[in-house]
Formats: sequence, C-alpha cells, structure tokens
Amino acid sequence: MTVADIYKTDPVKGGPDGGVMRRLNMGTGILGGVVLALIFNLVIKELADDTVHEVDVRATVTMVGWALGFMAGMGAFTGPFRWLVGRDLTHADEVFLAGKDQGVGRYFRFTTDHKVVGIQYLVLVMVMLGAGGTMAMLIRTDLISPNSGFLGPQTYNSLVGIHGLTMILATIIMVTGPFGNFVVPLMIGARDMAFPRLNALSLWLLVAMLPVLYSAAFLGGIPMGWVGYTPIADQGPAGVDSYMVAIVIFAISTAVAGANITTTIITMRARGMTWTRTPIFVYGVMASVVLALPAFPMFMAAEILLVVDRLMGGGFYVPNRGGQPWLYQNLFWLMGHPEVYVILIPAVAALMELTAVFARKPLYSFRVAVLSIIGIVGLSVTVWAHHMFASGWAPDLNGPFMLTTEMISIPTGGLFLVILGTMWRGRIWTTLAMMCTYAMLWNFIIGGITGIYLSDVPLDYQLHGSMFVTAHFHYTLMGAGLTGAIGAMAYWFPKMTGRMLGKTSGFVSFWLVQIGFNVTFLGMFMVGLEGQPRRVVHYDAAYHTGNTISTIGAYFIGVGMLVLLYDMIASWRHGEPAPMNPWGAKTLEWTVPNPIPLENFAVLPVVTEDAYGYGEPAEPGPVRVPVPAGAEAGPEEDEGAMA
Amino acid sequence: MKVRAFGPVLTVLCGAAFVALIGFFLHQQPAPALAAVPKAGADPHHAYIHLSTYPDSMAGEHGKDGGPEPDWVSYGPTTTLTVPRNSLVTVTISQYDGGEAITNPWFAKVHGTVGGTETVNGKSVTQVDPEAIGHTFTIHAAPTAQDPLFVSAPLPAVPDDAPVAPGSDYPAPIEVTFTFQTKGPGKYVWNCEFPCGDGTYAKFGGPMSTRGWMSGTLTVT
Amino acid sequence: MSETSTTQRRVPWWRSQDARVIAALWAGFTILGVIFALIVPHHLMGPSASNTMTEVERTFTAFSVASAPVAAVVWTLGVYSLWRWRRRGDWTPDDPDGPPLRGHGWLNGVWMFASSALCLFLLIWGLAALSSVDSPATASTPLEIDVTGQQWVWTFTYPDDGNVESDQLYLPIDRPVVFRVTSYDVIHSFWVPAMGIKVDANPGMTTTTQTTPDRLGIYEVKCAELCGLLHADMETDAHVVSSQDFEAWTASQGGS
Repeated sequence: MTVADIYKTDPVKGGPDGGVMRRLNMGTGILGGVVLALIFNLVIKELADDTVHEVDVRATVTMVGWALGFMAGMGAFTGPFRWLVGRDLTHADEVFLAGKDQGVGRYFRFTTDHKVVGIQYLVLVMVMLGAGGTMAMLIRTDLISPNSGFLGPQTYNSLVGIHGLTMILATIIMVTGPFGNFVVPLMIGARDMAFPRLNALSLWLLVAMLPVLYSAAFLGGIPMGWVGYTPIADQGPAGVDSYMVAIVIFAISTAVAGANITTTIITMRARGMTWTRTPIFVYGVMASVVLALPAFPMFMAAEILLVVDRLMGGGFYVPNRGGQPWLYQNLFWLMGHPEVYVILIPAVAALMELTAVFARKPLYSFRVAVLSIIGIVGLSVTVWAHHMFASGWAPDLNGPFMLTTEMISIPTGGLFLVILGTMWRGRIWTTLAMMCTYAMLWNFIIGGITGIYLSDVPLDYQLHGSMFVTAHFHYTLMGAGLTGAIGAMAYWFPKMTGRMLGKTSGFVSFWLVQIGFNVTFLGMFMVGLEGQPRRVVHYDAAYHTGNTISTIGAYFIGVGMLVLLYDMIASWRHGEPAPMNPWGAKTLEWTVPNPIPLENFAVLPVVTEDAYGYGEPAEPGPVRVPVPAGAEAGPEEDEGAMA
Repeated sequence: MKVRAFGPVLTVLCGAAFVALIGFFLHQQPAPALAAVPKAGADPHHAYIHLSTYPDSMAGEHGKDGGPEPDWVSYGPTTTLTVPRNSLVTVTISQYDGGEAITNPWFAKVHGTVGGTETVNGKSVTQVDPEAIGHTFTIHAAPTAQDPLFVSAPLPAVPDDAPVAPGSDYPAPIEVTFTFQTKGPGKYVWNCEFPCGDGTYAKFGGPMSTRGWMSGTLTVT
Repeated sequence: MSETSTTQRRVPWWRSQDARVIAALWAGFTILGVIFALIVPHHLMGPSASNTMTEVERTFTAFSVASAPVAAVVWTLGVYSLWRWRRRGDWTPDDPDGPPLRGHGWLNGVWMFASSALCLFLLIWGLAALSSVDSPATASTPLEIDVTGQQWVWTFTYPDDGNVESDQLYLPIDRPVVFRVTSYDVIHSFWVPAMGIKVDANPGMTTTTQTTPDRLGIYEVKCAELCGLLHADMETDAHVVSSQDFEAWTASQGGS
C-alpha cells in the first residue's frame, strides 16, 4: 500500500475541496487576530489589574492573542485540527491548498505550493526592506549635522533599534525565503518541500510578526538597540514587549522553516543527485538553516528569560535580584554570531551559482566551496564572545576567541578563491546578476578586512561601540549579503515571474546603490576612527564632514533601491516574456517551462552529472535523462497523477 | 528599447514623499520654552527662572488630566528652558514630591553652582541628606563644540507625613535656589539624577527617560 | 579573444601576457593600499595620548599594510577579468563556453597555506599586543581611579587621594593608571578614544582597564554602549596634567 492508496481509500467526507480553507484568507486572518487580541486584552485587564507589571503583561498577552488569532484565521490550525478529529486532509484538499486554479487569490491564502510561498517571501522581504530603509533615511537625515534636532533622543534610539531588528530579520530570510523556497525544490528535482503546510506556516508567522514588531512605535519605542541588552531592556517601556514577542514568533518561524528545508534537501533530491552533484546554492541554503536551527532558539531563550524578568519580576538579568546582564549577552551572541553567517552564506552561495553561469565555466573547485561553507558553519559557533571583548566578561577568554575569530578568515578566503577562480579566463556576461558578484567582491573584501581589525582585541577595545563597527557590519551584511540577494533576484527573476527584468533600470539602480553604499559607509569608517560612538542622536562637531558624506550616500542608496523597486514591479507586470532558460544555465530549475506547472516536473528527473559542465564535452541536451514511459513504473507515475 | 524615465522618477518621488511623511510625524516638536529673565531694573546679566517638581503630571506641560501618563512625577511648567549667555542664572525650584535614599551619594552634593552652595528653604548648604532626596536638577553638555557646563543641585524630599497645604493638591514645597554662570551659546541637556521613575529596573525608566517629565533641554542663547 | 592553451604552451605561465599584467596591476594596487594604510588611519585616529593608543595605532597600521596585498589580489583579478574576459553583447546558445577548469590543482593548497600564514601572523601580533595592553609591566604602582557610570553622567573617585569625587577626570602624565569601572543602573561603556581604552560599566560588577597617559591635554570621555535617553550626552573631559597640577587639583577638591 503506497501513500497514493491511502488517499484513494479515504472517502471524501462531502463538501467542496478544501473545506473551511476555501473561506479563509488574509482578511479572515486579520479579523481573527484583531478579535482574539481584543478578547485577550479584556480578559487580562481583569486578571492583571493593579499588579506591578500590568502594562507589560497586558501588552504581551494582547500581542500573543493577535498572533494566535491571525494564524487561526488564516487556517494554519485546520490541518492538525482535522487530524485530531480523525478527518485528515484528502488529496483534493491538498491540491486546493496548493493553490490549484486559484489565480492571484492564492497569494493571500494559506497556500502550500512552494512557488507561491517563495513569491510571498519575496514580497515580505521587500516590505521589510522598505520599512527598514525608510527608517535608515530618517536616521541619516537626523545625522546630517551635529545637532540637527530633527528627531528627539527617544525617537532616534527607537528608530535605530527597530531599523536594526527589521533589517536583521529581513536579511536572514531574504535569500533562503524567496529563493530557498521557490528555487531549491526545483533545483533538486522535487515537486515541493518536504512539509508544504509547515512552509506556509513559516511564512504567515512572519506576516503575523510584523504588526507586533511595529506596535513598538506606539508603545513607547525601544531604548536599547536591536540587540536588546539588559538591564536597559528590563527598564524600557512596553515597546520592549513588542520586541520580545516579535522575536519569539520569528524564532518559531525560522525553526519550522529550517526543519522543512533541511529535510527537503536531505531526502528529496532527485535520483542520481549525489552530494557531489548537488548545486552549491543548495549547500548554501542548507548550511544557513543548519546554523539557524541551534542559533535562533538561543535568541528565543534570551527573550523568554526577559519576559520572565519584565512580566513576572524574575531576576535573570537584574543584579540586585541575583541576576547577571552578561547572561543575556552570552545567549544573544550565541545566536548573533552564527546569525550573520546565516545571512551571508546563502547570498554568497547564490552568487557562486550564478557566476559559473555567467562566466560559462565550471564552479572552480567545488570541493573548496563546500569545505569553506562547512568550515564557516563550524567555526561560527565558536566565536561569539568577540562581541564581548570590551564587556569585561572573562578577560582570560579574549585570547582564545581572538584565535577562533581570526581563523574564520581562512574558509572565507576559500569562498573568494572559488569565485575568482570561476571568473578566471571565463567568457563573462556582465548581466546585473554578474555585476552583483563584482560588487560583492569589492564590498566583502573591505568588510572582511575591517572584521580582522575588530577581531584583534586591543583594536576592538578602541573600535567597539563606535561607528567603525556599524560600517563593518553594513559592509558584510549589506555589501555582501544584500548585494548577493539582489544578484539572486536578478538571476532567478525570469524563472519566478516568467519575465525579464528591465536592463537599463537595473543598471541605473545598481550603480546608484553601490556607489551610494560605499560613500555612506566609508564615511562611517572615517568618523568611527575619529571617535564617534554608535547610536547617538547628535555628535561632536569634529565628525560633521564624515556624517554629511554618509547622509548624502544614504540618499543615493534610497533612490537606487526605489529604482530597483520600480524595475521589479514594472518588469513583473509587463516586462519582456522570458524564455525557459535565458541564461543557458545547467541546473534543473531552468528545465521547467514558464509558467511552471503545479507539480513542477511532469516526470521527476534523474541526474547523471553535476550542473557545472561548461566547456566540457557532453552529450547535447539536458543533463538529466527522463525515465522512459513504462519502465520502472511506481512513485514517479503516481506523482504525475497530481496534475 | 526605449528608456522611460517617468516610471522610476515617479517611484523615487513617491518613496521620498513617504519617507518625508513619516519623518514629519516623528519630528520632535519642541515644547514652548521657558526663558530665564532678568529682574526689571536690575542687572541685565542676571536672569531668574522658576521651576517646580510634582509627584504627578497634573501640573506642568501635560494638559488638564495629566496627559498620557498622569501618574508620572514631573517637572513643570516645562522642561524646555532657555537662559542668556555670559550671565548669572538663578534657578528656584519648588519641590513638592517625596523621595527616598539616593543610589549615588555624589548627587546629594551641590556641584557647579556659584560658591558651590544652594539655598534650601533659606538655609545655605553644600549638600543635603542622601537618605531623603526627591530629585536633582543636573545640567550637562551635549557633545557639540561649546563651553562646558555642569551643574547639579539636589532637591530634598518632602517628608511623607507632610500635610497637604490648604488651597493646593500638594504639601508645602521645599524651596531650593541656586545660581550658576553661563558662558557662550550652546545646547545642553538636563535631567534628574535621582531614580524616581518606574519600570522594572533601577527606576531610571518611565518619566526619568522621557523628555517633558524628568529630562529636558537647556539652550544658552 | 581568449588565448587557447596551445599558444600558451610556448611560454611558461608566469611569463605569459596575463601574468605580467596581473603582476603589474597587483603591485600597483598594493602600493596604493600601503600608502593609504600608512597615512589615513593614523590621520583619522589623531595623535595618541597614551601608550595603549600608540599600540592601537601601530597595530591598525600594521594590519592595514598586511591587508593591502590581499585586497589587491581581489581587486586585480576583478578588474582584469572585466577588462580581458568580458564578452560583448548578450549570450546566445551558439556561443562557446569557457575552458573547463575545475580547479583541483596546487593553487588551492597555496591559497590555503597563504591565508593560514597570514592568520598566524595576525594572531601572534594580536596576542603580543593584547598582553602588552592588558597586563602592562609598570615601573611604579598605578594610580587607582573608580569610574562610576549612571544614566547619564560619569563620576570619578580617587581612593588614593582621600576619596576625591568629581565629574571631570584628572590624570597625572606618565603615571600608570588603573580604572575600576562599574555602573549604578544599566550597562554603559567607559571609553577614552584618545587613549585607546574601553571597558563596559556593568551594574553589580567591577571591570578594569589600564593605561599610561603620555601627552598633556584635554581629551573626551564618552559612553560607548547605548544606555537610554541621553546616551549621546554622556560625555565628560579627561585632563592630563603634570603631577604638580594633579596634586593641586586633588587638594582643591578636598582630597589629600
């Protein structure tokens, strides 16, 4: 008895396919969220009236009510609920859930098709980058002159914190979300992810998270930067509760997505796709989530302890109640350092993937690429306390952490070797995606070298907490990470939307963003070396020049990103229709037609060689051999029946 | 392929407008300032200003019902102050609030005033009892290039058992007066250095961390 | 435009056209980088006011000089590839691919060896600098100063001089000083940029940093950890004065 037989023997219980899921969408989600938030708020008002922590308890419980209500209204719990009452989803229900024949409406529902989830993630990332970018423009406007008075200190501190958290969350998901979901199943020759409903869950949890995060603006803001150091986080207003709940929701979403992606990649690669034939982007995505799986629960734990402190008078982080602020820092950075590699690795892996295509050459030393990624993943969990060199915690450990941190430069150098080697003597086609590789090389070498300075303990004593650090991490996370994500977007746009991205706007945007970016953050290195601290609403007149330069650069970035936004939307709507394989790439996602059928492949492919055979004598035609009809009937045939 | 600039330009303008809109809402609106003025007919380089500290927000700049946080302790009538340059400035504070022991006893002493003293209910002192402090009034510099200014005056606490004064909502205040010298123009900040706020920790949250209550600006014009 | 391997077999690879131009470009970029490294950081960081800061500036310059050839490799190959190997126009399926270089050769080993050697250099320099900064061998007993941060003012206490307490930091020149730093409320960070010292001020704990100021003048003391509303205003001055002036100052503050 196969899986297909179970579906056939389970009688349809009557009613239309999809059942209650037909009626549920983002609108009912919002309705459910608002209703449950109000109910929770009223109930907790009675229960927590006049307690010491009333404001925080009410805020937190209301937000949890919103999240639960929104997910219920989306229909996230229908599947488990029906299983509980003994009526599992039928095959027809699952096809409905996958969004078959639903047009645009399926993007606003709890749709499980990985291609739909990928697009939803892309839009979510664009919204978050837009919000974070708006905040960045406001921050830089305030800093255009030493004491501009544009923003008050409380507003400024909150903006800096929420900008930081928004951007961190956005960059964590910006490659694995849209492209990990849309592209990876196609790239490994699968029909969907291992757990399609969990896929939708991980996305909609993030949608539920956004109002929670931005409610901080109306609850007094956050006084403590995106890292949320205690004990100032204990001290802050109810905005800190928004911060904590948003992070817990995010951590759940990431854990779910991580389990999904890992299982998919390990178990659902096409026949013949051994690890040696698996594309490097797949390695990058998997490395990222494998790192995220242990890391983000640390963040969640740190925030849950803070919830206990703020709502229940616990003393985890409060010295006069037996607590220790360093505990928060350790828990946080155990997440925080792996997290930057969660951001970086998939972006660089996407660039490695596309560099081979646009240089028309095999990926240079696939082995070094994989080993470098594994090396970075392994080392990144051993370096966290380099963020705490100046904290005074365990000075004897500063030396060992300096050692592990400097060692990460070795596998990182391996990534450079692979990309440079792939470009060597290639036939380089300078599309927007390929230009992003060049920009990444420039930005990441600066980001990496400045990271070396910070890894040196005596230098870090001077540079920690100054704008030098801010410039360093923007060079790595934005200069390498976001640039890599833009490259990935430009590369896979034809496959995801069926249209070609407009070229002129793309290049205009590229140069505006990259030049603006370098101007902004080189100015910031300057003022950091001169002695300007981070997160300050006004500063010494001596830093005026550097700050004005940074602000002007920032405006260029803003304009450039808006041009890119226009380009994406205009091309999406009426760009030139894309051929099946506009770049002549050899990975499996380019073998499916546009528009991509719901089940991806009519027949699951069988892989006989890796995707980097450029320049190598090969039999003409696709790399994988379709299974001849009639031979080895079995799972492939039934999966074909899903159409 | 004809390059159409209209679309991108429109997008950029809309984006800029959106940012400007948010910026407009977030822009800090400075409260009307209270200026220190000289006494009529007396030395024009000696200005006077009067403030009060209250145990709630019913007085001060917060509106009739105490504004968004009626329970918060507050300075009044405003926390936005201007004083003239190169002058003596005499500040009189009517302290209506109770208090307790201060965490950092250094702030129980007077710093930066003329003669290093302040007058408490007529008596000249260099420090007050660190076990019964209500608030402090502490001015220090913003980091721009301007003349340094550091003044800290402790304000003793009104005893908890003091009776409410007739015709008022509060007990009789303790009057504290001190004088300091300003130099060149500049923007400074001041706040209370006695943890009188709420929040889970160290009581520097709440009103202590919000302009308009226990923290404000001082501009030397 | 790309040369085939048959043409290149006549000339050893290190004498090929590619290699010459790349070597020249690399040398050029390295020289530019070294000049930048020798001038710009020191200029931006300003004159050093302590032995610690001298060490900091020296390390920064040394690391910058060491990084210049590394960055130059990346810049050179990036620029050269765009100049030499860029195709004109869009790709079509009839265009030939590049050479099938899979990259399994000796270069990987050389690259890894070079990065490890560089890493070792950084580490050894770093450990040496760290030990000179964290545990300096001092001739005289250091002056002890207690630094207290609270939202949003720094105060300094001199236990060796009759517990003088002040919001201004006074330091005698050429005398080693140890700062014991703590906080009354949230985490602050005690930072004197001109002296290259920084350590967090944690509530309930005392952390230490030390240096020897070696230049007269007035320098800034800042807070380097976001501590709330007036974090940007938590600044005061460090006055490095002669020992006589220092004695006079402590006496004037009521100390011994």
